[in-house]
Amino acid sequence: MHPLERLVNLVALLLEARTPLTFEQIRDKLAEGYEHRDPSSAKRMFERDKDVLRDIGVPIEVVSTDAWDVEQGYAIDKDRYYLPEIAFTPEEISALFVAARSGGDASAEDAVRKLLSGAEVGILAGLGGSGLGGAVEPNLSQAAEAVAGQRRVRFGYRTSKGESSERTVDAFGLAIRGAHWYLVGHDHDRDQIRSFRLSRIAGAIEALQGGSAPPDGFRAADHVQAGPWGPGEPQTSATVAFAPDVAWWAPNGALGAEVVGARPDGWVEIRVPWQPGESLAAWVLSFGPQAEAIDPHELRAEVLARLEVLGAG
Amino acid sequence: MPAEDRHVPAKASERLRRLLVVVPYLVQHPGTAIEEAASLFGLWPQDLVADLDLLFVSGLPPYGPGDLIDVDIHDGCIWVSMADYFARPLRLTRSEALSLYVRGTALATVPGLAEAPALSSALGKLAEGLGSDALGQLPDRVQAAEGGKAVEVLGELRRAAAERERVRIEYYAASGAETTEREIDPEEVFLAIGNWYVAAWDHRSDAERLFRADRIRSLEPTGTRFEPRGLEGAGRPLYSPGRDDVAVTLRLAPGARWVAEYYETTRELELDGGRLEVDLPAGRLEWVERLLLRLGADAEVVTPEGLKDRVRSLADVTRKRYG
Repeated sequence: MHPLERLVNLVALLLEARTPLTFEQIRDKLAEGYEHRDPSSAKRMFERDKDVLRDIGVPIEVVSTDAWDVEQGYAIDKDRYYLPEIAFTPEEISALFVAARSGGDASAEDAVRKLLSGAEVGILAGLGGSGLGGAVEPNLSQAAEAVAGQRRVRFGYRTSKGESSERTVDAFGLAIRGAHWYLVGHDHDRDQIRSFRLSRIAGAIEALQGGSAPPDGFRAADHVQAGPWGPGEPQTSATVAFAPDVAWWAPNGALGAEVVGARPDGWVEIRVPWQPGESLAAWVLSFGPQAEAIDPHELRAEVLARLEVLGAG
Repeated sequence: MPAEDRHVPAKASERLRRLLVVVPYLVQHPGTAIEEAASLFGLWPQDLVADLDLLFVSGLPPYGPGDLIDVDIHDGCIWVSMADYFARPLRLTRSEALSLYVRGTALATVPGLAEAPALSSALGKLAEGLGSDALGQLPDRVQAAEGGKAVEVLGELRRAAAERERVRIEYYAASGAETTEREIDPEEVFLAIGNWYVAAWDHRSDAERLFRADRIRSLEPTGTRFEPRGLEGAGRPLYSPGRDDVAVTLRLAPGARWVAEYYETTRELELDGGRLEVDLPAGRLEWVERLLLRLGADAEVVTPEGLKDRVRSLADVTRKRYG
């Protein structure tokens, strides 16, 4: 008998059984399944099959079938086996499908396929193609597991400045900003809530014993929010003018930017939240001669100083 | 199409896993076409049929004709019956549920995505339906920080790609720091490092090109249909090597290390003091000059020769704005 046939028969048998079945009963009923072997190798084969089923998520339970705990029986808990009915609209199912395909993540696709059985026929016909793409983060599933289970974890981390160290963190939440995922939690070494960009975690996230609950009102996203040019709430604002060629898209790169108006020469003035010390000057310079810092004076001065370093006369 | 290699036969455990997912769908959708089921479930049609061939000899004791699962395949369509116990799928495993939930959250917060409202309500139903067994504390503890602005042409671009319609665009190319007009055949619209891109055939250069959707200033349909050339979409490298590429080598101070995370590099070498030496392949140098203007003292040009002078003259031109 083909192993797949034996496994299918085993799942069917246990799903239909009203009471737990002992191995002998299973061996009897499955006919060719385990019978042509000597009892001990048949039992080993059954144990392997049981592990296979557990690996793919079939909830096999071992229960005593007599009052003296002598005989053990096997059963599938149907409530834990069957997916509960969730009534998704066709739009919701296709949106989930699109999302599952957006990260190169096979288990998200497997998940959504399990939700398909109740879907309307034909609605999914247009779902071919290669998906929308998105950030592929090797550590995302481990980080999600840590947050879901409120676990303490340890990992190697390299800061944006290139400094590496080992961190021990109670996982509180996950946040995405732009293309990047962050794990937010209590950093034991610094005794503070910190956020860690997943792409800067070196190696795997190791789960430790313990963990703790986040403080009341905790929101992971609050800990990765930043002003347009760096961390902190902007205190004041600056005006920057852009050439017509770039003015239509440049403000999209600056959170909270507002168009002041167009000048007679076609350039557009934009006000952006800013506080001195943030890297607005660098951003203005990334537009080359197509942008000019207008005010305040400190910003103009910083732009000019940077240009001088580069040798501008 | 499935990603795994065609020639590696799947293990029985893997085949069982996919059968327990596909069979409930087939029981509930009698007469599904083989091709459709295969594409929905990411299987090769031959593999699906081979799995169903084994299902057909399986069932319940005593395995008489009335006890076996009934699988009927004709005219390219599938009917599965006598398998009530497989009429509903297996629950999501914890890692499947977590993966889907985080992917969904990421996409639901992309500005301007048409599917976002449906996705948000689907995630709500998922969290409620699966409960804390599957998702633990996750639903309350995963969010997106405030996002960027919606890409105005996104809806129209996705429609044109789906309907295979040529469009005329006004485009600002960062590589050359200039705006141009061109006709393109948009094939694949996808997200990469937080930005929307379209892989298209560009009739101006008569070559395949990637365009950033937020740099498309205007988009007009032409009414002309095109034959897709099979251009690669999601997951492709954002940079494809060209014959005239220049190898740019830079030494980055710690404050400029983000360059290596943001741009495609062909070599990275750790130096002392947290500095990093990188090779950035570049088809044109205009964008590199602007990058260097931005980085200032945080970057040092190693090669090519002449780049430093070009940056100096760009600094000069920019300086003139300030009187």
